[in-house]
Amino acid sequence: MCEKHSAAEKCFSYTDSGLPRVQLICVVNDEPVIARIDPTMTLLTFLRKELSLFGTKEGCGEGECGACTIIMNGDAINSCIVLALEAQGAVITTVEGLSREGKLSILQQEFINHDALQCGFCTPGMLMSARALLNRNPNPDEEAIKEAIAGNFCRCTGYTPIISAISSAAKLEREERQQ
Amino acid sequence: MLSRFDYVRPQLLEEALAYLRQNTGTEILAGGTDLMIMLRRNAQMPGHVLDIKSIPETKRLEYKPGQGLFIGATVTVNQVAEADFIQKKYAALVQAANSLASYQLRNRATLVGNICNASPGADLAAPLLVYDAKVHIANSQGNRLVAINEFFTGVKKTVLQRGEMVLGVSLPDVTAGDVSIFLKQARIKGHDLGIVGVAARLAADKVCRIAMSAVAPTPIRLTKLEEVLNAQPLTAELAIWAGEEARKLIKPISDVRSSAEYRLHVSGVLVKRALTQLLDMGGK
Repeated sequence: MCEKHSAAEKCFSYTDSGLPRVQLICVVNDEPVIARIDPTMTLLTFLRKELSLFGTKEGCGEGECGACTIIMNGDAINSCIVLALEAQGAVITTVEGLSREGKLSILQQEFINHDALQCGFCTPGMLMSARALLNRNPNPDEEAIKEAIAGNFCRCTGYTPIISAISSAAKLEREERQQ
Repeated sequence: MLSRFDYVRPQLLEEALAYLRQNTGTEILAGGTDLMIMLRRNAQMPGHVLDIKSIPETKRLEYKPGQGLFIGATVTVNQVAEADFIQKKYAALVQAANSLASYQLRNRATLVGNICNASPGADLAAPLLVYDAKVHIANSQGNRLVAINEFFTGVKKTVLQRGEMVLGVSLPDVTAGDVSIFLKQARIKGHDLGIVGVAARLAADKVCRIAMSAVAPTPIRLTKLEEVLNAQPLTAELAIWAGEEARKLIKPISDVRSSAEYRLHVSGVLVKRALTQLLDMGGK
């Protein structure tokens, strides 16, 4: 039973199972991580609760909204519906891993330049879906961008500036590579 | 999540099957895109979660000329969509894979998970039905093969018994000139469950197969319709007739995504459209 809501069936928030802790070893944002964790914990809960990486958000908690999107072993995934233990040995990038030496990445800067965020709740997920897209396709057309972020819901900014930001970042990244 | 479960991730199939036999209340975890939601909602509270992603047999994805295609139980939907040999040979399967949920979910969701979850609207079921796929099932006593049209037994129900797991599905090889298509009607373009799904295939021997999802308690083959279609050459007129006829063979329900009436209507449209497009692709 959930202590916080004292409701057995309707409680969707994380409750420590009390089961013996299990070792998890992975790499998060280029840093090796060794932790002892509750085996029933999701990867999202692990990132936020154990590593205090609060950039990754919980929206729906069921893989619908994309706010929890991270990159695991090169793939954009919804961290809310992955068990933390499934990340054993994995290489993970969260939104905190996009900037380098305190400097925003091109993609992040283009989100600012195009006013591609308002409340910002969907932004970390949008950025990670966009990052994964640009990693696999450095020159995406508008259709490819839309498909890549179809699983990321934005309810205030609107998608048009987000699509422009990703498109522009792709162009700038290509230019940077050619230099 | 209120479940208290052991998480095990065996490296060997034998270990997994022994674990399944010994531990009642074990849920198999592959992509987790269905199971994790059930756990979160406390709709399922298993005592054991068996992650099968480290078992080599489940990772197999290969095509062998003359033998066909094998898709292991932990092969993701995106791996299916992106495999060039599937794109070349099994068009309907790729189209259905690309229509499923969102890109992030397709990176986790597996084709086998989609059929084991046995939703009436499983996007990948109709293409597997028109390709006469076989489901490879293992238990600690041995393996058995079940034809995909006998795999589903009801809403969220399959022939799988306790102690069994699906290793993968195999699809017979297809010869040149074999064309197929998958059409899905959803409320929006993008991340949505289907209102209706139709897969149609015209094999090189001109035998036509049609299957549908979300129009009956299980995904279904329209075998009665196929019999009539296969008794004569496929024409544009016949495609229109088939669209009308398909409506008589299905029993859709009303739900949050669509009324039964709309499902009936759009089913006919999609069957007609699928057959017409097969004709355009040089089916005859």
